[in-house]
Amino acid sequence: MDGVAQRGAASWENGTLAPVDRLRTERADSPTPGLVEGTEPGAGQKSAMFIHAQSFEDLTAAAEQEVGREAELDQPGECGEDLKVLVGEQAIEEQHNSDIASESRPKEEDVSSETWRSHRKHVFVLSEAGKPIYSRYGTEEALSSTMGVMMALVSFVEAEKNIIRSIHADGCKVVFLAKSPLVLVGVYRTCQSDKELLRELQYIYYQIVSLLTLTQLNHIFKHKQNYDLRRLLAGSEYLTDNLLHRLDRDPGLLLSAVTCLPLASSARDVVSSSLQAAKSKSLVFSILLAGDCLVTLVRKKDQFLHHIDLHLVFNLVGSSSSFREGEGWTPICLPKFNTAGFFHAHISYLEPASKLCLILVSTDREDFFNMSDCKQRFLERLNKRSAYQALKEAVKCPSYSVEQVGIPELRHFLYKSKSSGLYTSPEFPAVYQSDEEQERLMGLYQDLHSHLHHPTRPLRSFYRCSETENLLAWVTSGFELYLCFSPLGTKALAVSAVNKLLKWIRKEEDRLFILSPLTY
Amino acid sequence: MSAMRVDAKVVMLGKESVGKTSLVERYVHHRFLVGPYQNTIGAAFVAKPIQVGEKVITLGIWDTAGSERYEAMSRIYYRGARAAIVCYDLTDSSSFQRARFWVMELQNCEEHCKIYLCATKNDLVEGDRSLRQIDYHDAQDFAEEIGAQHFETSSKTGNNVDELFQKVAEDYNSTAFQYMTAEETGVDLGQKKDSYFYSCCHNN
Repeated sequence: MDGVAQRGAASWENGTLAPVDRLRTERADSPTPGLVEGTEPGAGQKSAMFIHAQSFEDLTAAAEQEVGREAELDQPGECGEDLKVLVGEQAIEEQHNSDIASESRPKEEDVSSETWRSHRKHVFVLSEAGKPIYSRYGTEEALSSTMGVMMALVSFVEAEKNIIRSIHADGCKVVFLAKSPLVLVGVYRTCQSDKELLRELQYIYYQIVSLLTLTQLNHIFKHKQNYDLRRLLAGSEYLTDNLLHRLDRDPGLLLSAVTCLPLASSARDVVSSSLQAAKSKSLVFSILLAGDCLVTLVRKKDQFLHHIDLHLVFNLVGSSSSFREGEGWTPICLPKFNTAGFFHAHISYLEPASKLCLILVSTDREDFFNMSDCKQRFLERLNKRSAYQALKEAVKCPSYSVEQVGIPELRHFLYKSKSSGLYTSPEFPAVYQSDEEQERLMGLYQDLHSHLHHPTRPLRSFYRCSETENLLAWVTSGFELYLCFSPLGTKALAVSAVNKLLKWIRKEEDRLFILSPLTY
Repeated sequence: MSAMRVDAKVVMLGKESVGKTSLVERYVHHRFLVGPYQNTIGAAFVAKPIQVGEKVITLGIWDTAGSERYEAMSRIYYRGARAAIVCYDLTDSSSFQRARFWVMELQNCEEHCKIYLCATKNDLVEGDRSLRQIDYHDAQDFAEEIGAQHFETSSKTGNNVDELFQKVAEDYNSTAFQYMTAEETGVDLGQKKDSYFYSCCHNN
């Protein structure tokens, strides 16, 4: 496992993914926002926990490099006939709620029906031989000819030494991501940019890699090109379903950041140091989660976890009740750390009905009882402290209301500290209680995000008025901020709210962020 | 191993969705969870103390995932296991083929592991006899051929579940003594052997 460690260290040293340590010591005492990375509210005091990056540019960077030599297929042209199969001809107005994941999969759906066609986001995964691997809706078998057409499109363009990136048809986008030996295709009825959609496909790709490792994937398809990968992925479809559901709802996946459980820093420090004390030779990361919030993360010195890997872990734990039955022990590949090998994760809840889930990531697959022992030691230590009670109390109310900030017109916000890779956000207010409304708001944030991160014309700030809400987005080298105001607010009010909000976050940063992450 | 003392390692094997987790759930927590099927990820470990005569024996039960994806990992779960509960679904004949595979695997790799052939979902078959795809006598014959105990269980009703694990614990208890004496001499011989080879290598 030395190889793994060295690889991780190397990627840390080559600079591009390394967290910025400069200015950390010059942390501003003034409550006015630090506009420079490392001094903004929420920035860690010692060093960052994550290999963080210029948010999602890092994720799509590889794809961007190819842009130059590729022709984008904007006109359906000849392919139009085939595409009718995929997208249907008329735009269908009715909104379909994406079904709640983990409920029964609508696999029985008839793939020639209008309802099937009108789903807002289709995702298909196929092998380079055109064999279906995954479809979000409908059975893969029924879609083999459709996937055949997709593969034909990819190979046809490839034959001309080009790469197909997207097809824009009436009210619909088809986005392609070729990640040998897999091909991912998204068919979308949304106004999100290609780049955002590509990011979602990347996540699905990493999800599959995390189950099998890229080495194994390559090995399989090298030996048998027309292998049916569904055999190996059997039973994991709901993980991908859930991830797609999260991509529509979880701001963390949009911001490339993770949110923390609001907790008094004194309590968090005790939890962290208890976790730090329960170490073992093979242990690389100890992660304590409360639902979808991070409580603390302790890592081996010089080893960093990428937020994508952490989101895959969140998804794995959040999608499955399997870890409630006993102590889970599973191989897991963290693709942003190393696509070649498995880590082994000990996953268990602290108490049977608790939301607190401990994940111990080890390099040694024989180390289950060692990890189990680490967990016991952590629990024993924690049980002796009052901090455990404070933690349990905090888990009961894992969020805060926006009223606490004291800005009357402010309804909701997302704030990401760039240097720590952490974000904070209040609970949804009453006006966004329904699932549809929450997803609509997330859609608006996604739209703002794609304007701020436009590949050629990125914006620094963006204000938008509409009938239902006013939105402001602002990005500096230190943070990203997205605010949602009632439609009665004014632009001047929104701008003045930014300062007020940043002061509030600075005041609360001890509670909302992990300021002093620990290593073993 | 300091956290909990486990006497006997028991491993659950079998095709996915035959109901290994439900069986463990029924035995350990005395419940049957109705709801959408959730496959096990990797494996789950539970320690369960069980009363045998005057002794308490702790079974360390490894509930493995049936998915082929984890097949390469399965060795670490059954290595050193004292008992293997090989499960098949009475309503799915392919699961019986898979059970045969696991029996072969165990016979080849873990000769000291005692095999228990366990049919699941008996309640379904009792409700509708036409659902049964594995004849009781065929399975019984196979069990005798491999020297295994055979149980037909239902995790939904709890039928035969406690009996199965009780039998596992009793068998362990009655053989443990023999093993202990055998091991003592075995270790002695092994040590001599080891030191012999060690010095031999050093001289090279």
